[in-house]
This record gives sequence, C-alpha cells and structure tokens, in this order.
Amino acid sequence: MSETWIIIGGWLAAGLTIFLFSFLYKDNPFFKIAEHLYLGAGMGWLFQVSVTNVWIPKIWEPVSKGELLVIIPSIMGLSLLTQFIPKISWISRYGFTFMMGYGSGLAIPAGLSTDFMSQIEGTIKPFSLLASMSPFAIFNSALIAFGAICVLFYFFFSVEHKGHLKKVSNVGIYFLMIYFGAAFGNTVMARFSLLYGRFDDLYTFSGAKYLYATQFILTGMVIYFLVYALFAGRSKNAIKA
Amino acid sequence: MKLIKKQIPLAIVFITGVFTLVSYYVPNKTSIDYIETMNKWQNIVVAFAFLLGLVSLFFSHYHKIARKADGWGYSIFVFVGFLTIVISAYVSGGRQMTDAGLTPLGWSFKYIYNALSGTMFAVLAFYIVSTAYRSFRIKSLQAFVLFVAAFILILGKVPLGQIIWDLALGWTGAGVDQVIEWIMQVPAVAGKRGIMIGISIGAIVTSLKIIFGIEKQYMGKD
Repeated sequence: MSETWIIIGGWLAAGLTIFLFSFLYKDNPFFKIAEHLYLGAGMGWLFQVSVTNVWIPKIWEPVSKGELLVIIPSIMGLSLLTQFIPKISWISRYGFTFMMGYGSGLAIPAGLSTDFMSQIEGTIKPFSLLASMSPFAIFNSALIAFGAICVLFYFFFSVEHKGHLKKVSNVGIYFLMIYFGAAFGNTVMARFSLLYGRFDDLYTFSGAKYLYATQFILTGMVIYFLVYALFAGRSKNAIKA
Repeated sequence: MKLIKKQIPLAIVFITGVFTLVSYYVPNKTSIDYIETMNKWQNIVVAFAFLLGLVSLFFSHYHKIARKADGWGYSIFVFVGFLTIVISAYVSGGRQMTDAGLTPLGWSFKYIYNALSGTMFAVLAFYIVSTAYRSFRIKSLQAFVLFVAAFILILGKVPLGQIIWDLALGWTGAGVDQVIEWIMQVPAVAGKRGIMIGISIGAIVTSLKIIFGIEKQYMGKD
C-alpha cells in the first residue's frame, strides 16, 4: 500500500467517524450517507466471508472434485430463495425445516450440558469441598446457591406468588438486579473503550502525516451546521413573514 | 400435495432433529461423521439464507431508487459500500495482509468497515449513558441495588474512580478491584445462574416442540 493510499484511508476513516458522531448533534445527510455505507460495507464483508469460507471450500471445490453430496444442502439452500416467488414459496420449507431440525437437535444437548447441568454443578460442587474451603468461600458458595434458588423461584410461574413464595422470589429480584447492574456496567465500559479507540484514531489522523484530516473535516462539518442553521433560520422567518 | 407441502418438511425436521440429538450421545464413528457432515450442510444452507437476506436488502433499496422515494440517494451508498468491499476482496483473493503489507481488502476493512462499525457502537455509549440517567432514577430499593452494582463496576474500571474509592473507602481495606471481582463472582453469578437455567429449560422445551412438530410457525401459512 503506497503512502498516498494510507493518507486517503486516513481521510476516509476520519470523515466517516466524524459523520457518524455528527448524529449526536442532530440528524444530517452526512450521517445518513455513513450509515448506509456501513450497511452496505457490513453486508459486503459478510458476503466475502461467506464466499471465502463456505461457497468456495464447501461447495465449489467439492463439486469440482466430483463430491456431489454437497448438492443436497445446496438445493435446500436454493429452496430458501423461493421466498421471493409467493406461488412456490412453500418450497423454502425444505431449507428452513432442515435448519430448524438440526438446530433443535443440537440445542438440546448443548443447552443441557453447558447451561443446565453445568450451572447446577457449579452451584452444588463447592459444598463437596467444604473441609478445604475458607469461611468466606463457604459464605460465598452458600450465597450463590441461595441466590440462584431465589431467582429460580422468581421464574416459577406454576404457583401464584404469595406468602413465603413471594418473599423468596422478591429476594431473587435483588440478585437479578445485581446481575443486570453488573452487566450494564460492563457494557458501558466496553462501549467507552470503543469510544476511546475512535478518539485515538481521530487524534492519529490529525497529524501532519495525514495532512490534518481530522481538523479539516471537523471544520467542514462545523461550517455545514452553521450555514444550515443560518438558512433554516432565514426560511423560518420568511414563513412567519 | 399436502404430503409435499407439509408432511415431508415435518419429517425432515423430525429425522434431522432426532438423529442429531441421538448422535450427540452415541460415541460412535458413524455418529461423529454424521454430525460433521450435518455441520457442513448447515453452513451451506445458512450461506444461502444469508443470500436471501442480501437479495431482500438489495430489492428494498433498488425499489427505493427506482421509485425515487424519500431519501433514495442514500440507498446508492448501500451498493457503493457493498461493491467496495466485494471488489477489494476479489482483487485481494480474500486476504487482508501479504508480505507487501495491506491488501485492498485489508485497506477497506481498516479504513472503512472498522471505522464505521467502531464508531457506530461507540456512539451507543452516549445513548446508554443518557438512558441510564433516565432509568437509574432511584424509585425503589431494587432500582437502588441495580444502580449501586453498575456504579461500582463503572467507577472501579477508571483510574479516577479507583482514587475516589481509595480516598473514601480505603480504610475498609478492600480495594475496588476486589469488590468488583466479588460482585461478578458471587451475587451476579447467582442471578445469572437462575437466568441460564431458565433459558436452557425454555430452549430444550421449544426444541422438543419443533422436533415433534408441535411448534411449526416457522413454516409460515399454507
């Protein structure tokens, strides 16, 4: 990649970043352009991944070698495209039912082993090691078991929640709230980490190496908003008059 | 016609579902081969399903341009973005890097796709904070608990928060890192476990309903 392409890339990345950030002020054409470009680029990226990882190695190459078994899933996959022709859209059921059947068959053992059994195991197992655990670790294990049971009571809808059941399920809500709070905090920090990354990139593109891309584009955006506000104000006054 | 339209598709769900489920618990070469083959088949069908979504998106934006609907000019950029990535991927042979450096695909990824996706998710940070301001108005003890958990998590992960914690609660001997770890390892795990167990029971029941043809809304109307 030549130096020119790197500079062009810097201007493009800085521009697209600022265009998307401009939505924080108000909706504008530059944001919409970047938004639509993102949609197209995202689909393009997934398409190239699909071609590189599936179409070529799993369909094209086996068929070229005479392994014709892959034609069966290809036909099932092609059947999905009949969704565009209402009269024969029922054919797409062949593709969908295969995906649903395989997905369901896989979801049961996966759900049983990774979510159901392992969660119960994780809750119960520490109680078999009590002799080697510190008092604080025992307290933690008991708290986890107590909390998990309370949360399960909260999700148990077969019996009306009243009396002791209501008290237990109410305690479960507090554990849920702590989990939601923790998950929220983590999400916020992950998003802010991305934000720092974008600001860092904008700082990089503001250097002389990139011909001060950030400053020029930012100034351009400010001028656009000022001019827009001026004209919008004038047209409002004209309507009033 | 009912056989082709309804019964054979339901038989496919049943046979594929039961075979996949049984194969998981049967440690046998045939069952391992079956799972591997089905996995490949699933990837192929999903690739076509992606194509279905892609064609649908293109139709939608093409019609918008053809009818010159409101904001039709923006739809052109969907095709521009798509073609930029696809053409650069074709030119680069699907590789992002070579010994010579970035390929056109790597360039497109770094300066277009990465910049766009990173910023799009970063913008959400502002909206999450503004939503938090509205939703964290403490109206009950439960909302207060949620607020405290989130606040400690956020506070503890920035240097300023750690300084504030040490100044205000340093005398307790517990660092904010330890408190965060305890929250994540103990009460949050209790809440998460209840949800995970509930989700897994729901997923298993729904899967069984699909396999046995009780749930068939995904087949659409007749």
